[in-house]
Amino acid sequence: MRKIIPFVLLIIILNSACEKDDFCIQNPVTPKLILRFYDEVNRSSLKAVNELYVWAENKDSLFVNISTDSLVIPLNTNNNQTIYNLSKGNIVEQFTIDYTPKNEYVSRSCGFKIIFNDVNFTPNNNWISDFTALETSIENQNSAHVQIFH
Amino acid sequence: MFKYFINILLFLTVVDGFSQEQSKDSLSTPKDSIVYKSPYGIRLGIDISKPILALVDGDYNNGFEIVADYRITKRLFIATELGYEDEKNQEDFTNSVAKGSYIRLGVNYNLYENWLDMNNEIFAGLRYGFSIFDQTLNNYKPNVVNGENNGSPYFPADLVSSNTTSNLTAHWTEFMLGFKVETFKNLFLSASFSYKIALSVKEPDNFKTLYAPGFNRIFDTGTGFGFNYTISYLIPFSKK
Repeated sequence: MRKIIPFVLLIIILNSACEKDDFCIQNPVTPKLILRFYDEVNRSSLKAVNELYVWAENKDSLFVNISTDSLVIPLNTNNNQTIYNLSKGNIVEQFTIDYTPKNEYVSRSCGFKIIFNDVNFTPNNNWISDFTALETSIENQNSAHVQIFH
Repeated sequence: MFKYFINILLFLTVVDGFSQEQSKDSLSTPKDSIVYKSPYGIRLGIDISKPILALVDGDYNNGFEIVADYRITKRLFIATELGYEDEKNQEDFTNSVAKGSYIRLGVNYNLYENWLDMNNEIFAGLRYGFSIFDQTLNNYKPNVVNGENNGSPYFPADLVSSNTTSNLTAHWTEFMLGFKVETFKNLFLSASFSYKIALSVKEPDNFKTLYAPGFNRIFDTGTGFGFNYTISYLIPFSKK
């Protein structure tokens, strides 16, 4: 009996140590949209947008008066369209993103993530002159999904 | 005075020697001829922890297990467990229910040397387990990134009702350690711990098998563990 007790304890300890799937460490799970801003003349060089205000239609501001050449924004997973207002100073650009959301199971602790397929971008060309979609589906945040020229 | 004490001590050593001589004699007497026989038969019982868990644990909806073993040699028993379990799995982002039946089949080996006519056991066991069950994903909440300072997300995800059921199976092996105590004549109380290693688990489409009846929670590594508390009655066929 005395020989068995430590053995049982050992197995219990080994087991409790195996519970490594209890915390979701994979972040971000659902990818955000990454935009990069380029110069409209010299199209290979990045160009920061100054006085940039970002908010989604009927929502609070996400970014206020920032200066950046790279923008990371979340998409609405409950809908198949997200309309963002990208304001450069006083000029408001309405940037519409259409997509088909799809759920994808990750793990016990992380649950489901949403990936976005058939992505389409529609700017209304107020200060954005052109854009190039680099991806048609947004599955991760490893690189930019769209290039914006201004 | 000292002479007096020494004399008494000398007398005592003589007595000692004498009794020693006697016990040597008794060794030559024939050995005790009484042989303690132990019963052989089938032992039937139920797991008493599962109905209690169903009442106490909100996530454990229902459970029932019948246990049986049959003694084949002095130390070896063929053992089986048959059961039904229904358990809810509430995770951070998913809510699912697994329910179904299982069978575990194997052997127990008694490591304990009993005194006299006692029939207690400390056993080690091996099992093969098989389960047929349904897992229903009730609903889930897509995992979206929190806002700044871990605030609520910019676009909070709605709870999505899924209600998809998959028919699943699981095979596994099990190592058990436990003990059985005969409390009244032929009535045994038993407790055991088991460590399970999944051999194959059928996974549903775009989801995961989180729980298998008889196996309990399936960890990332394909392992699991369980406890059994049983009460069983021995129907003796013969004594050997």
